[in-house]
Amino acid sequence: MATRTGRFLVVALLPAVAALAAQESSPSAAGERDFLSRVRRLTVEGRRAGEGYWSPDGRRLVFQSEREPGNPFYQIYALDFASGDTRRISPGYGKTTCSFFRPGTDQILFASTHHDPRSKTLQQEELDFRASGKERRYAWDYDPEFDLYAFAETSGQYTRLTNARGYDAEGSSSPDGQWIVFSSNRDAYNRTLTAAEQKQLATDPSYFSEIYIMRADGSQQRRLTSVAGYDGGPFFFPDGSRIIWRRFDEQGLIADVWTMKPDGTDARRITDFGAMSWAPYVHPSHQYILFASNKLGFENFDVFMVDMEGRKEPVRVTYADGFDGLPVPSPDGRRLAWTSSRGGGREGQIFLADWNHERALAALRAAPDRKAGSR
Amino acid sequence: MRKTTALLVALLLLGAPASRAQRPASSPTRSHVEFLASDRLEGREAGSPGERLAADYLTAQLARIGARPLPGRADMFMPFEFTAGSRDGGSTVTVTAGAAPARAFSAPRDVRALSFSDDTDLSGPVVFAGYGLVVPESQNVGYDSYAALDVKDKIVVVLRYFPEDADQKLRAVLARYSDLRYKAMAARQRGARALLVVTGPRSPNAGELVPMSFDTALAGSGIPAASVTGAVADALFAAGVGSQRDPTSQRSPDGPPSRTLRDVQQELDSGNPHVAGFDLPGITLALRTSVVRERHTGRNVLAYLPGSAPVATDRPWVVIGAHYDHLGHGDKGTSLASKEEAGGIHHGADDNASGAAAVLAVAETLARSTGPRRRHIAIAFWSAEEIGLIGSNAFVTNPPMPIDRLAAYLNFDMVGRMQDNRLIVQATGTSPIWARLLERANVAAGFDLAVQPDPYQPSDVASFNQAGVPSVMFFTGSHPDYHKPSDTADKINYDDLDRVASLAASLVGSVANLAEAPPFTKVDQPVSRGSMAGVRVTTGTIPDYATEVKGLLLSGVIGGGPAEQAGLMKGDVIVEIAGQTIANIYDYTYALELLRVNQPVTVVYTRGGQRRETQLTPGARR
Repeated sequence: MATRTGRFLVVALLPAVAALAAQESSPSAAGERDFLSRVRRLTVEGRRAGEGYWSPDGRRLVFQSEREPGNPFYQIYALDFASGDTRRISPGYGKTTCSFFRPGTDQILFASTHHDPRSKTLQQEELDFRASGKERRYAWDYDPEFDLYAFAETSGQYTRLTNARGYDAEGSSSPDGQWIVFSSNRDAYNRTLTAAEQKQLATDPSYFSEIYIMRADGSQQRRLTSVAGYDGGPFFFPDGSRIIWRRFDEQGLIADVWTMKPDGTDARRITDFGAMSWAPYVHPSHQYILFASNKLGFENFDVFMVDMEGRKEPVRVTYADGFDGLPVPSPDGRRLAWTSSRGGGREGQIFLADWNHERALAALRAAPDRKAGSR
Repeated sequence: MRKTTALLVALLLLGAPASRAQRPASSPTRSHVEFLASDRLEGREAGSPGERLAADYLTAQLARIGARPLPGRADMFMPFEFTAGSRDGGSTVTVTAGAAPARAFSAPRDVRALSFSDDTDLSGPVVFAGYGLVVPESQNVGYDSYAALDVKDKIVVVLRYFPEDADQKLRAVLARYSDLRYKAMAARQRGARALLVVTGPRSPNAGELVPMSFDTALAGSGIPAASVTGAVADALFAAGVGSQRDPTSQRSPDGPPSRTLRDVQQELDSGNPHVAGFDLPGITLALRTSVVRERHTGRNVLAYLPGSAPVATDRPWVVIGAHYDHLGHGDKGTSLASKEEAGGIHHGADDNASGAAAVLAVAETLARSTGPRRRHIAIAFWSAEEIGLIGSNAFVTNPPMPIDRLAAYLNFDMVGRMQDNRLIVQATGTSPIWARLLERANVAAGFDLAVQPDPYQPSDVASFNQAGVPSVMFFTGSHPDYHKPSDTADKINYDDLDRVASLAASLVGSVANLAEAPPFTKVDQPVSRGSMAGVRVTTGTIPDYATEVKGLLLSGVIGGGPAEQAGLMKGDVIVEIAGQTIANIYDYTYALELLRVNQPVTVVYTRGGQRRETQLTPGARR
């Protein structure tokens, strides 16, 4: 998984092995049935897949997956629900992540390093490393070569939208298709760092990541946040009125869901679990937010939901051990795609379920008020 | 599904709510299941009249669908011969000690041939060879019951099982070589004329005969072999055991001949490899063994739907199959019927009327589709699966078309009891094509797929994997009615069975139209796979086969069994037993070999994320 996921995977999926040894049981289907029905596994092929995002008409899902021999990094694929066919969107080499349909156009956004002349060498090095049988501590590498691209499905053309040195990724489009929000750590590369900052960059480049906005053609790039620690995974509200994202503390262990206006003002914190709460997405009804958190165990991520202002206690949605995260409701609000390790092993795949919006609303209404003073 | 080993006997069965509402009439599978699982077919035991009726039904349905006999065949039956069972044909043992009157013993009371025994009528001197264990040198253990013994042209007497008091590590190794077939082979290779087995007084089932295990072999294993009761052993040992020739004995050569078999076993039970066997001087033993093997004829049913021109030249056949036999009245040993149900018709609605019905439904869908089909679809119904995958083995051993003309095999075994939308797909490691095609077909079908690469399953898919054919198998999990008369048609979840058939039809269509036949990938057999040969205990646990976890996830416990008494329950994950860490079911089987009847062991398990411990006292397994 990747980078909207970024750091989570370090914590989430890698220790999943140990986690499973320590605390597995079968997924508690009973708890999930409150909100999810007809749970099904959508991706099967390949080593891992994740971050599925719906097309505006709900007929397709774009996601990242490692599934082709010769490339041990994610590529971007789009799946058609009517035919079951899946086609690759990204060029097939380099590293890619974080795709998104641009409404009103034939474009799909994603981040890629394929312009890096070392791409194929890096692929081979990774394959050789795996073949050697050594274990790597999984870590998203925040390759500074990552830039945002738009792929036009009709012409097959790739348009590079950013070219700043630094990790530009985690892009998503506004509902009108005119704006893109994304995360970038370019700040670490476009100024002289102090010694302490240089050390920080070497150990955790995501520390410098902030939220940026730009026009869909890549112009008018503007920074929206400036708080130390990883800001990432931004999405517009379905009506475009605000942006939702997740913000890490400086140590990179605690994260919370925030929202702000598209001009960067009026930032509000929504969650306060004191855990890693991230990957937020607003339900199309504008009545609640779905997100993931490891509140229930360091390695056990589950999907939660919370009202738009975070006034009440979040409600747990998934009940499987291991990883459940990156929840994305369909445009009609009746289905949910998310990434889960419930299929076995440590790697995630994309799952799909029917979503019971009415029960979700009832559960949120019934949730207790959040304890005072916690914000 | 077949219980390959007693692994499943000991471990399987699930505790889950059974039936649910079914939609009447329109199901394409329901009438097939209801007929095949009806009383009239009496459990469809291979070679029985019920099996014939089932085969007749299947051929009639195939003809109705429009399937044809395979090219060059007049009908859809492909008969094969098999051994349906064996019984003792009147074995006897006569012990003569010096001038004393001969003592005669006979079946069924005191002697029983082992199922793999040669028939014989011989007499000769007797040698006691301890546990009759030989560990290959590669194991670096150095245990050979024959190291200091000359057994050539003698009748060898050995103890069943392996040293009772050996340390755990040694027991783990010895258990592997304690199978009676292996002991017989070791004796035969050293020139012994026959093997007699006695269950020692310090072992479980002390002094009892070894049950005639089910064995489908056509002939004996090259040596006469029988088990004898403690009474026979007493007659052999009463005449003065081991007094002179036991090299480890501190006793003077002319000391009193007072040692009993119990004494001898106790010494051996330490596991000390230097405790040797000895001749039984002055004893002459006359042995007659007879095994009667019942030969029956089973019938595979095969038909096909021709491909449309131009048919692929590269591997032009796709095979879909399911076994249609079941356990009859359950008297062949793999029944799990309770005492009250014993002897009743084992309906086998899920196992495997459901699979046969799914195959018919898939075939019917394909027969009605009008699109091009680049490969022929062979439709197979196997018999004698329950007694050892015999029907499907007969097919791959003597295939009607060259086996390298097969592009793929899709197997259906127990697909009628789906819960929570969970479809288990096994053997996907046999080709990279499966994950791709499954993903595509499942977009419409929408199952919560549990994908398992391992093709070494107790079902016909194993026969095709062995033959190098890319294979895949559908399974909806076990349940409390598994191998019991209560596996009936009213408990089948027809809605989901129909959905399985629909997914499979889409998958078969895709494989049939692939431009290139799928490549075969050999999956290594897990090395740590235990065998039940050395397992003598039962723990009463029911493993979950669908959910992949680190450890052994329980889908239930057998009521009143050791696991239940230890407080274990559905959803618990066993991660350690008797100090052995458990990563999977094979580790668990392996660990069971080390357990001893009535000796409590510590079980470490997790429940709801909490690590817990309990004491479990294993019971005896027959």
